[in-house]
Formats: sequence, structure tokens, C-alpha cells
Amino acid sequence: MKEKLSREEVLHVANLARIKLTEGEIEKYQVELKKLLTDVEKINEVEGYDEDILIACWDEFARLRKDEVGNMLDPKQVVENAPHHAGNYIEVPVVIGESEGA
Amino acid sequence: MSNYISTVGVEVHVELKTKTKIFSNSENGYGQMANSLTNVVDLAYPGTLPTLNEEVINLAIRAATILNCNIQRKMHFDRKNYFYPDISKNYQITQNDTPIGYDGYVEIETSSGEKEKIYIEEMHIEEDTCKSAHRGNRTLLDFNRAGVPLIEIVTKPCMKSGEEVKLYLEKLRELLSFGNISDCKIEEGSMRADVNVSLRKEESDPLGIKAEIKNIGSISNAKLGVEKEIERQTKLYDNGETFLPQTRRFDDKLGDTVLMRVKETGNDYRYFPEPDIPYVIITEEMIEKAKKEIPMLPDERREKYKELGVSDINTTKLVANRSLSDYFNTLLEEKTNFKTASNLLLGDIAAYLNKKEKEITETTLTKERFLELIKLMDNNTLTSKNLKDILNEVLESTEKIEEIMKEKGIENITNDDEIKSIIQKIIEENKESVNDYKNGHDRAIKYLMGQVMKETKGKANPKLAMDILTSCLQEL
Repeated sequence: MKEKLSREEVLHVANLARIKLTEGEIEKYQVELKKLLTDVEKINEVEGYDEDILIACWDEFARLRKDEVGNMLDPKQVVENAPHHAGNYIEVPVVIGESEGA
Repeated sequence: MSNYISTVGVEVHVELKTKTKIFSNSENGYGQMANSLTNVVDLAYPGTLPTLNEEVINLAIRAATILNCNIQRKMHFDRKNYFYPDISKNYQITQNDTPIGYDGYVEIETSSGEKEKIYIEEMHIEEDTCKSAHRGNRTLLDFNRAGVPLIEIVTKPCMKSGEEVKLYLEKLRELLSFGNISDCKIEEGSMRADVNVSLRKEESDPLGIKAEIKNIGSISNAKLGVEKEIERQTKLYDNGETFLPQTRRFDDKLGDTVLMRVKETGNDYRYFPEPDIPYVIITEEMIEKAKKEIPMLPDERREKYKELGVSDINTTKLVANRSLSDYFNTLLEEKTNFKTASNLLLGDIAAYLNKKEKEITETTLTKERFLELIKLMDNNTLTSKNLKDILNEVLESTEKIEEIMKEKGIENITNDDEIKSIIQKIIEENKESVNDYKNGHDRAIKYLMGQVMKETKGKANPKLAMDILTSCLQEL
């Protein structure tokens, strides 16, 4: 088993986290992130390990909410709580080239 | 003739018709003032937690049933992580591992009349994102749409042409809107389709390089987009060129697809189970309830209408008009003339509704009054011409139709003997025209008919009078 992550793997994770790393940090995380992953892999050694516990760690099942409308916020409050707004819209810097979810 | 086999798969997002959002109790609405339908959960304020709306599960089970899917009995949600301002949590809650429905199909009818199954890989529940609009170097966000419940329906890559995609989308829209699951209004974004297109040489080859077409604004554009994309990829391969997997969008003005971005690396959404929502158990009772609530679906309506003697063309028109079809269905248990009922609804009544921009339920035509109207038309007490004269009153007042007729002085002679004696009188007085008719001048009968109407001051039922006149002339 290799002892550290590749440079590319660290840069990929940094990109996902939207952070810039210095050369020194890249080298540091190649070792530290690998150690972290090795620790997590220890879970596999647990006997009688139940995968369900990773999804929900309690015995209760989801309780469903009735489809009834409750209180909503005043749009003024909503936009004033954001750093920037234009009229009733929240305003943010444009982000191009990223994927949209739904 | 192309030397390639095209493969097309479709992903459709449909907004569910619930009162509230999927994970919060703010209103699920459209066309309201920006950011007026939100609360702290939709805006992802720290410390807020999702609470799952039971109606979302109910509608999703109903949709899965209509789409012939197997239903997951124990399911969970997952987080799809990505960085974009349309989702303030920085992840979307969706279902990656345990979609509520899987392995289903929709049956389409091709232009040659053959039935064909379009296979559904899976159908999952997720939340919609907020709506973003770009203005120069700024983006404006409206969170009214954030958290609106969606189902995403993913087909297997089983289609080959734009035509099949069109038929599939039309069928899906029909099923989901008649199932009261969604409005399926493409122009308002409550139904959105993305298509994946690739080409390969042989059936045995792996699937070719994929282009995904997004932002398709109508079903006809989905068909055109697929056709244009097949054309584009064919040209590239024919020229010995290749391309990278990519996302394209359909440009309305160009009537073609244009490149949005090249997918150099696969998306890394780092899915993991959503820890804030425990397992959801779907019980037999929930499935039974959802099944019971499925309204009569289009295919069943078509069959029923034909059985009742409604013409093919009227059947098609009725099923295409949901509110008239629902109104028509309220008569199904009654003993009435369904042919007359469909003619009335799709004729004068539909014309009135179009003109006044009204729904049938906004008129005063209760089932009882409609049954009265059908009866009056059937026994010739009321003629089509008379109906035109009193239609506004019929649809705007609550008076009995016979009363309206009396007020308007509409009194038709429906007695056969009475009409017959008038006709015999006319025949006696117009021997010349009778001779003309017998000598093959068809126009003469129109003159005689005119005389009958004159004599009766327009009160003879024209159809009845014409029938009697024709038989009297033939007997001579």
C-alpha cells in the first residue's frame, strides 16, 4: 500500500473544497490525508458491521410531515440578511462553468 | 442513410403538485414575488433540519405505479455535493442509492400504430434548486423554487430517434398530468427534459461518446434537438473526427444545439447518505392508498368513450381537454346519449368557453342541467340553431332550460303528425317544385323545405321536417 496520496489526488480534493494550496501544503496533505483515509478504513475491520448504521444511526424511521403551509419569511427580511441584494433578489457574484444540480 | 446506430436516453424532472415544499412547510407556488415563498429551511440557515412532506411520498408512489415501476420499500436520501449559488446548503438532497421507483416502462404508440415500450431505469425524489438569472457579472437569486419537490425519471438508453423521444415525452406528460402528479407545464419549468445522444457502428459496440442536451423548452424542440445532434455527430465521424463528452443546449433561434461546456473530467458529487433524514419505510397501506387515488388515465378514458359510442375524433378531442373530459366523466353513471353529450361539449360549449376564457366548472351548467339539455336536443325540442340563441343563458343562469326556452318563445313542433299535415299541404300547393324534384332537380327540395319553415314560422324541427318531407316525396 502506498504511503501517501499522489499530488493530483490532493489537488483534486483542494479543487472540490475551493481552496488554494502552497507547494508545502500539497506535500503535507499527501501524507496527512492518506493517514486519515487509513484510519477510516479501520471501520471495515469491525466484526458484525452493519452498513445500515452508516445511513441512519438510530432505530427510528422517518416521520412524515403533513402537507400544510406554515409561516414564511418576509422577502425584505430575506434579502436584507444577505450581503448584497437587488430589489427582492439576493445578489451574488456570477459563477460560470460550474454544474447546476437539478 | 446513416451508417451509425443512434442511442438516446431521456431524463425528465417533474415538479410535484403539493401544497408545501419537500423539506419545509413554505408554500410550493409559481409566479409569486421573488423570495416571498421561503423560510429558514429553504435558505439553509444554520441549525435548520429537513422534515419530509408525506404528500411527496404519496405522489411519488402514485407516479411509480403509473410508470409501472417496482417500488422501494426501505429507502434513504443522499447528499449531492456541488458548489453553485443555486443551492445554499452546497448540496442537494436527492436519492442516489435507493430511488423510490425502478425498472418501469411507458408504452407509446408509433405512427404505424405499433405499441412500443420505453424502459425506465429509475425514478427518484429530490429537491429543486433556486432560480438564478445572470445580469452582467452578478447573479440574482430567487429561492421560491428552492425545495420544490421533484421527481426525476431516467429512461434506459433505449430510444433511437427524435420521434420516439417526442412520443415518450407526450405520453409521460399525459400520464403525469392526468394522474394529478404535476402540472407538467414545460413553459413554466414544471417539466424539464434533458436528452443524451450517442452514436456507434454496431449494436455489439459499447455506447459511443455522449452529448447531453439541456434547456429544452418544448417537446418539439426535444425531437429537433435529437435529430440535429445525430446529424452533427454523424458528420464528425464521417470526417474521421471525434469529440469530448459534452453538454449542449438547444437554441430556439438557431433551431439547433450549441456547446455549453465540455466535460473533461467526470463530475465529482461525493454522494453520501443524508444523515438528517432517517430511513423511510414504504408500507403496503401507503401503496394501496396511492393506487386508489389514481384518477382515470387517458388510455382508459379512450376505451370507455369508444364503448359509449363517442366518435374517434371526439374521443381524441375530449382526452386532449382534461377539464372537459373530467366533466364528461361525471355523466358516466347516467343513462344518457353520450354522443350528443360529446358533440355539445366539444361544439357550442367549447366555443363559448374559449371565447370567454372560462373553464366548464366556472359555468352554471350543472350535471342535472346538462342532462336536461341533452334530452331536449335528443327529442328535437331544441334545435342546434335554438341552442345558439340561448347558449349564454344556459351557461350563465341557473334557470331550467325549458324555462329559458319559454322566455325566448322557442316552441318547436316536434309532433310528427302535425308536421306531416303541414308538409302535405305544401306539397299540394307546390306541384311544380314537386315535379322538378321528381325529375332529378335536387334543389327543389330546398325550396319546399323553405316553404315548410315559412308555414311553421321556423318552429318545425328542421331535421325532423326534412326526414318527413323526403319520405313524403318518395311515396308520391
